[in-house]
Amino acid sequence: MKLMTLAAAAFGLIAGAAAAQDWPQGDVQYIIPFGPGGESDITARLQQPYFKELYGKELVISYQPGGGGAVGWSQLNTMPGDGSVIMGVNLPHIILQPARGNVGYQTDDITAVYMFHFTPDAIVVNADSPYQTLEDLVADAKANPGRVTFSGSGKGSANHLAQLLFDEMAGIQTTYVAFGGTGEAVTALLGNQVSAEWGYTTVGKAQGDQVRMLAVAMEERHPAFPDVPTFRELGYDLVSGAYRGVAVPKSAPEEVRKAVSDAIGAINANPEFRQRMLDGGFALIDIPYGEAMDAFMAERKTTYLNAAQRAGLIQ
Amino acid sequence: MIEHLLAALSPLNLVFALLGVAAGTIIGAIPGLTATMAVAVLVPITFGLPPQSALILLGAIYTGAIYGGAYAAILLNTPGTPSAIGTTFDGYPMARRGDGDLAVSVACLSSVIGGLVGALALLLLAPPLARAALAFGPTEYFWLAIFGLSLIAALSTGDFIKGMIGACLGILMAMIGLSETSGEVRFTFGSQTLLGGIEVVSALIGLYCIPVLIDLVARPDRHLEHPPETRGFRLPEALRILWVERINALRSSAIGTLVGALPGAGGSIAGLVAYSEARRVNRRPPPYGEGNPGGIVATESANNATVGGGFIPTLVLGIPGTPPDAVILGALLVQGVRTGPALFSGASDIVYTFIFGLFLATVLMLPVGLLIGRFAYGAIVRAPKSALVPVVAFMTVIGTFAIRNSMSDVLLMILLGVIGWLCKLRGFAVSPIVLGLILGRIAEKGFVQSWTIGSAIGDLPGQFFGRPLSLAIIAMTALGFIYPFWPRISAWLRRRPAAPRAAQEAPSRARVLLDLGAIGIMAAVAITALVQSAGLGRDAAVFPRTIAIAMLVFCALAALRTLVARIVTDEPSSGSWPRRIALPLVMLIAAMLVPQIGFLASGLLMGLALMVVAEYRPHRPSGWLILAVSVAVAILAFTLAFRDLLAVPLPAGRLF
Repeated sequence: MKLMTLAAAAFGLIAGAAAAQDWPQGDVQYIIPFGPGGESDITARLQQPYFKELYGKELVISYQPGGGGAVGWSQLNTMPGDGSVIMGVNLPHIILQPARGNVGYQTDDITAVYMFHFTPDAIVVNADSPYQTLEDLVADAKANPGRVTFSGSGKGSANHLAQLLFDEMAGIQTTYVAFGGTGEAVTALLGNQVSAEWGYTTVGKAQGDQVRMLAVAMEERHPAFPDVPTFRELGYDLVSGAYRGVAVPKSAPEEVRKAVSDAIGAINANPEFRQRMLDGGFALIDIPYGEAMDAFMAERKTTYLNAAQRAGLIQ
Repeated sequence: MIEHLLAALSPLNLVFALLGVAAGTIIGAIPGLTATMAVAVLVPITFGLPPQSALILLGAIYTGAIYGGAYAAILLNTPGTPSAIGTTFDGYPMARRGDGDLAVSVACLSSVIGGLVGALALLLLAPPLARAALAFGPTEYFWLAIFGLSLIAALSTGDFIKGMIGACLGILMAMIGLSETSGEVRFTFGSQTLLGGIEVVSALIGLYCIPVLIDLVARPDRHLEHPPETRGFRLPEALRILWVERINALRSSAIGTLVGALPGAGGSIAGLVAYSEARRVNRRPPPYGEGNPGGIVATESANNATVGGGFIPTLVLGIPGTPPDAVILGALLVQGVRTGPALFSGASDIVYTFIFGLFLATVLMLPVGLLIGRFAYGAIVRAPKSALVPVVAFMTVIGTFAIRNSMSDVLLMILLGVIGWLCKLRGFAVSPIVLGLILGRIAEKGFVQSWTIGSAIGDLPGQFFGRPLSLAIIAMTALGFIYPFWPRISAWLRRRPAAPRAAQEAPSRARVLLDLGAIGIMAAVAITALVQSAGLGRDAAVFPRTIAIAMLVFCALAALRTLVARIVTDEPSSGSWPRRIALPLVMLIAAMLVPQIGFLASGLLMGLALMVVAEYRPHRPSGWLILAVSVAVAILAFTLAFRDLLAVPLPAGRLF
């Protein structure tokens, strides 16, 4: 395992060095279509020093918040395609937003070149909550339809979708309260304003023993939380979360797309970076530009759109 | 403790604190450049530093930027950051009457006091205060926003009904775009630009600064009273004011610390709440809003106290108290520092060194702030109008652009400025609109969340009116609303006729018609919002619909008053019409030229055109040349600083 990581790192470095001959020409603008402090910002900040280490150029992070990311993504293709601008890109956002209404871009307008990590959905409760296990929560929700309240980040978001799907699977009815970002949703949870939170594994990591995770929506348990069961183990077939990656403007030529993809891949291969990401509760993935990305996006699109339809989020 | 204090005082940290405060103050002074952006730009520099020094640098920049916002508020009536809105209320009237230097010194001293109180709370009370902040749920945020709105009663300069109409307009403007709580797109009329909503800081710049610029070019007289002789910092006077206002300063600092510790509130609300409270208990002339230094003391001490206050949830809970805290939290994570309760109880070298660093930066702000303030004041007072107008106009454009790197925001800023100016002309004060715009979002979010939770637990009245904290805020709100009307109410209660209003001559037919026209336009906005709400889901429609109905009621009341009582409030503007029209027109044209010829080229064109628009005195060619060169150099300097130091991607177009 260790050897493979090292090999991957070495490969990444070589790939990065080869691309570095013509890219980047100067500092690279890394636009986060959200405000500071969220998962997109934090992971970009974690990438920042390794980019400089690789290329000797700055990765300049700026924020273009608005419309749950839609403002940034709708403007992505008007930006220069010479590799001087890259933008953070999130799933399910770029699939669900255009499906739910006119937000100024279509999913296929976004040229994602690398998906580098994801945050698995998780049900989080306050440390002093009466729910010790997921079954406690389900039993309460069955006895009192609608009275169990969940905080979560945004409407029509990964958290919201997970809530709708889980309600259907468990045959329960709960109430979802949308907050403006994970920070606000966690605040409501810590203040006992809601019964539980639909959040991510990152919340469990950041809040430590102030909270308890009841289950995570992963295929296997998260290495940082060996004691927290997956939904599958408990009999609910729920594997979901939010994926994050990097996109370039449509006008970017093939070499630039490839070079950016290689750069993010090289950072992802750095063992120190990987450790920091895992410490933060993130889960790493490697979907580079090319066939892998096309297949990934097509698969995700079908999955999210089906789920959203089942949940009644889209017609 | 002592070893942490000594660690904070290392030469390297001292230098960082000094540089940070100076850089922050300058950045904060430029409208559009916010503390968030200042901190975000500098984060990469801190990667190579030890964590303590990195944090001290970031904290110092943050502290300086919050204070720097006061300069533009006092000298240009434009809050450099949303935290400084309250500073304009009394700071600008003071500057107008020639006390701008005094106002700047008072702001500096108040900021230092607020900063120290906030840092002290962070040092001694962080864990309990963080717990207390968690007691604030959606319902409390809703009522807190309503409390902030109660200031409208005071801010509507003599016309409460028009103030309420303006507030409703502001709230409806805040509803534009993709809504967080419902995920629906509202009131964008198909526009991509409006999808992300109206950006608050650019709206602030437009609504406050453009009317000032328009009025500046309207007449040949000076912008601010010229002081008869150099009077230094007027520090003894400022100190005397602070001594008289000491209770105010401490109360406002406490309010700032507490509100700053609420993750959902922030500096703007802290300043407004402190201002509102200071105004309510004030007994000293002149009245608040007409240049009472107490208003500056309240806002500036409160907003700098939010720096320390905001770090409380950031460090204790890992939840950022304010947007700049969010950036600093990210920088901490990269440094490998994990926040949370353990940070305070366990091996907490970093935290304590940082808190002492914050003290250090706050103390250094006194000399740095006074010096930079003196310079800013001198520059604004001495600059001829024909240099001041183009440079300030360029600052508003580049500052607005830098917020979201968006030219659409610049166009919107100029349009909002014209709308704000027209509103002011017809007696709709700008501040209630701004309050509505800022607090509308917080109010809606809290309202919809409380509504959802209340319905789920089957106790809607209990959710809104049954929580002790909510009741306390409601009581304060009631006081805030009633207070401005108290003289009249008490007279009525004692069955004595109220003090007779100043005899007004009957308004002319034209003024009555104009007034009715303006009210009609406001009513049309409300009706449009109502019609548009019909197509939205329940969560998305409930708040804007309620506000639109309220707006219609207020419009009806205002129209009735105009027709029956023949009372018209407006603020006539006199001077040259061609110049007043030329100013926004030149700015709009220049903004539209940017994609073609580039940011700097259109900025220079705009600057030179506005120089001509603003100049009343005749010049010889050499005089014009000197003027033109100085304007061009200032614009060039700003452009280079934004592009190269702050890494703002300014469009280059075909020229430069």
